[in-house]
Amino acid sequence: MTYFFQYLIYGLQLGSVYALLALGYTMVYGIVGMINFAHGDFLMIGALGTYFIAQAFESFQVGSTYPMLIIGLIILTAMAGTGVIASGVEAIAYRPLRNKPRMIALITAVGVSMFLENFPRALPFIGPNPRSFPTLFQAKNIDLFGATITTTQLVMIVLAVVTMAVLYLVVNKTKIGSQMRAVSMDKDAASLMGININKVISITFFIGGALAAVSGICYASAYPQVDVYMGSWLGNMSFVSAVLGGIGDIRGAMLGGFILGIAQIFATAINSTFGYAVGFIILIIILLVKPAGIMGRLVVEKV
Amino acid sequence: MSLLEVKNLSIMFGGLCAVDDFNLSVEKGELIAVIGPNGAGKTTIFNMLTGIYRPTSGSISLDGENLVGLKPYQFAKKGITRTFQNIRLFSNATVADNVKMAHTLHNDQGLLKCLLRLPSMRRSERALDEKVMELLDRLGLADKADLLAKNLPYGDQRRLEIARALMTEPKLLLLDEPVAGMITAEMEDMAKLVPQIRKDFGITIILIEHHMNFVMPIADRIKVLDFGRTIAEGIPETVQKDPKVIEAYLGGGYTKNGNAGS
Amino acid sequence: MKGKKWIKAVYPAAIVALIYLLVTVLRQLGIMNGYYNQVLMFAGINIMMTASLNLVNGFTGQFCIGHAGFMSLGAYGAAIVTGMLFKHTDSIFVFLLGLFAGGLAAMAAGMLIGLPSLKLKGDYLAIVTLAFGEIVRALLRLVKPIGGARGMIGIPGYANLGWILFFMALTLFLLRNLIHSPFGRAFIAIRDNEVAADAMGINTTKYKMTSFCIAAFIAGVAGGLYAHVISFIQPDNFSFTKSADFLVYLYAGGSGSLTGSVVGATLLTILPEFLRFLADWRLAVYAVILVLVMLYRSEGLCGGLELPFMRIRRKELYEEPLFGKKEKGKEGQA
Repeated sequence: MTYFFQYLIYGLQLGSVYALLALGYTMVYGIVGMINFAHGDFLMIGALGTYFIAQAFESFQVGSTYPMLIIGLIILTAMAGTGVIASGVEAIAYRPLRNKPRMIALITAVGVSMFLENFPRALPFIGPNPRSFPTLFQAKNIDLFGATITTTQLVMIVLAVVTMAVLYLVVNKTKIGSQMRAVSMDKDAASLMGININKVISITFFIGGALAAVSGICYASAYPQVDVYMGSWLGNMSFVSAVLGGIGDIRGAMLGGFILGIAQIFATAINSTFGYAVGFIILIIILLVKPAGIMGRLVVEKV
Repeated sequence: MSLLEVKNLSIMFGGLCAVDDFNLSVEKGELIAVIGPNGAGKTTIFNMLTGIYRPTSGSISLDGENLVGLKPYQFAKKGITRTFQNIRLFSNATVADNVKMAHTLHNDQGLLKCLLRLPSMRRSERALDEKVMELLDRLGLADKADLLAKNLPYGDQRRLEIARALMTEPKLLLLDEPVAGMITAEMEDMAKLVPQIRKDFGITIILIEHHMNFVMPIADRIKVLDFGRTIAEGIPETVQKDPKVIEAYLGGGYTKNGNAGS
Repeated sequence: MKGKKWIKAVYPAAIVALIYLLVTVLRQLGIMNGYYNQVLMFAGINIMMTASLNLVNGFTGQFCIGHAGFMSLGAYGAAIVTGMLFKHTDSIFVFLLGLFAGGLAAMAAGMLIGLPSLKLKGDYLAIVTLAFGEIVRALLRLVKPIGGARGMIGIPGYANLGWILFFMALTLFLLRNLIHSPFGRAFIAIRDNEVAADAMGINTTKYKMTSFCIAAFIAGVAGGLYAHVISFIQPDNFSFTKSADFLVYLYAGGSGSLTGSVVGATLLTILPEFLRFLADWRLAVYAVILVLVMLYRSEGLCGGLELPFMRIRRKELYEEPLFGKKEKGKEGQA
């Protein structure tokens, strides 16, 4: 039982990483209709960016950790930076292809992903070697039903849930949110209604990038190593989460992320290789039962 | 026995009854028109007659064999094919290939023969091509055989859809708004083509149309639908005079006012 | 007239033979080293992979993004036959048997995954194929007798440039024939409009399955060749990155064009080698080139184009066959 709670906590932690990243996938998919294979690399940029920003703030360090205010500042800077890079990528590489077949954009995304991994790898001050991620604040252990949860884990899970809640409110209650929903339903009609599509898509990518940065920080706090390739398999897993939950649906992405994270941790406890495969096995089973994912609705072609 | 016997066909979408208790009996060689305002459920009937939708209740039998529950390709194999209202050609293939694609269900060349392109397969391809060219010639598309379907003018695309459907060698051909969006000259061509096809191929045709003046001269019988229900049927002359039909087409106010005036 | 036709029938084979001859001569003269020879072999294998992927994605309009999974099964299947079952028999037949076994293994997996999943559309099918590739990789890591995660060593190096060119040419020949046959037309019909294909009597599930299985078989054989080139395979050689490579070759070359597959796979296999002088910047520059190609030539380098011997025109049906009986022609003359 103790183990159960312990694994559940690990699962929630990994799940929040997947869920945050899956949100970006799903939002971009919902609005532009493309699978952005470079999205996982935004996580890497966020984590790596945080590493360098934290170094820049080194003078504020108290002991080996930072004061709360500075941590907030570091996270916000990393989020903004990653968001800007994400919308930059959209403007340069994806925007010109918006009306082309979707596969074209997907291949471009593969190319962008290669670039985002290999460009920093070639930069002399980053390079291919993994770096250890700074401890942003001192973790304390809390006992919970016999299992141990660290304050870092707690803060990260709470941060993820709060971010998702905010996003949900933004999409459903604000003006930009309703514009996003309009664009996702019908780009042409939205444009005729005076919505600036380019702006909405840029903002979507910005939010997706910012969420990816948060998810990168969560991941790197749990497994404190960052390198340029870390985003690629995390990206795959969260893409799986997004599809699992029903791609295009925000609640589905969160649900899919947590399901996948928890399942993976439990399966890894049984066998480490099996843990990696189990996510994919769950995915296939769910898709065979519900072809459009848990929350997704099947679109029937009108004849 | 009639060729096609449709009994009590109904379909619900959610709580909405799109087609309610549709009955139709078609004799071999007949040309039947189904007319009615937009949203009357005409295309839905075609979708059920070709297996795209499964009816909630009712039966469809062709030559006495019940077809409900089969997949669309099985409907085609049994002898019902159709054209589409919103043209659905294989747009990146040539005109000739579009028609050949509809011959797939009669293909007797095995995979190995095709992979190796054995002489017997080449002969069968040649025979098929001759057949396709003859069909295209009848429909006036022979000179465009090597163009891509997407580059054809609109009227030709509609005719290609008919050619493609004929290639499956159907017993019953369903034409879904064959003159939709056509200019008058194209419509007149089509009005000649449809009876011609019926005569040349000896097949039975059901067509859906809005244009009364296209339907009236060519149809043997007409069925009028409104809100999923059959409101009138019979030979064109009777249907044309039926007050219910006039009401459905011109709106309730017209007849009321007309009555009040007289 | 007769001579012209002979040339037309023979020259694709002649080109392949010429490439082989040229490489052999260059190697004899010491101008080309073994390394470049290996790069050419990889190009040949990648052409097979890309062309088979093209059958599924380009011609049948499906969306497979886990093609490396089939390759890995082929590689392992073939390696088990040649390196384990017939370890002490050194014969061409063992090699061919191995390749065949690899192809069959991949095809069986294709059937297994295709049967339930080909009902899924577009992105959902894509994600299942991705999942399939990753599951295969994870399972291969678990099987200890074939080396688990460390991989399999000591696979006999049977494959050489000659064999690879032979199988590549054979693949292209068979695929070209297939595409210009009732089967290929059914595939293209499904790609262009699945609803209409269904309504015209094409059993879409059956034809999608056929396309998928043929592609899986070819990928399996290509995997078998790959294993016998590098002699050492491990599950991580066949990750999603590898599948993404084939997708890139396919769409950069032009999907729906066999010529495009050849051009895409060859250029993009060789390009990174030409960029070696860039050292660390090599892959970043490669990525930029790829993105630029997609931005400025979205349909791919050879999109919509096909070399003459890669297609069969309608009028060629009416030409006398070069081989086989000609009773029809004689009757016509009499």
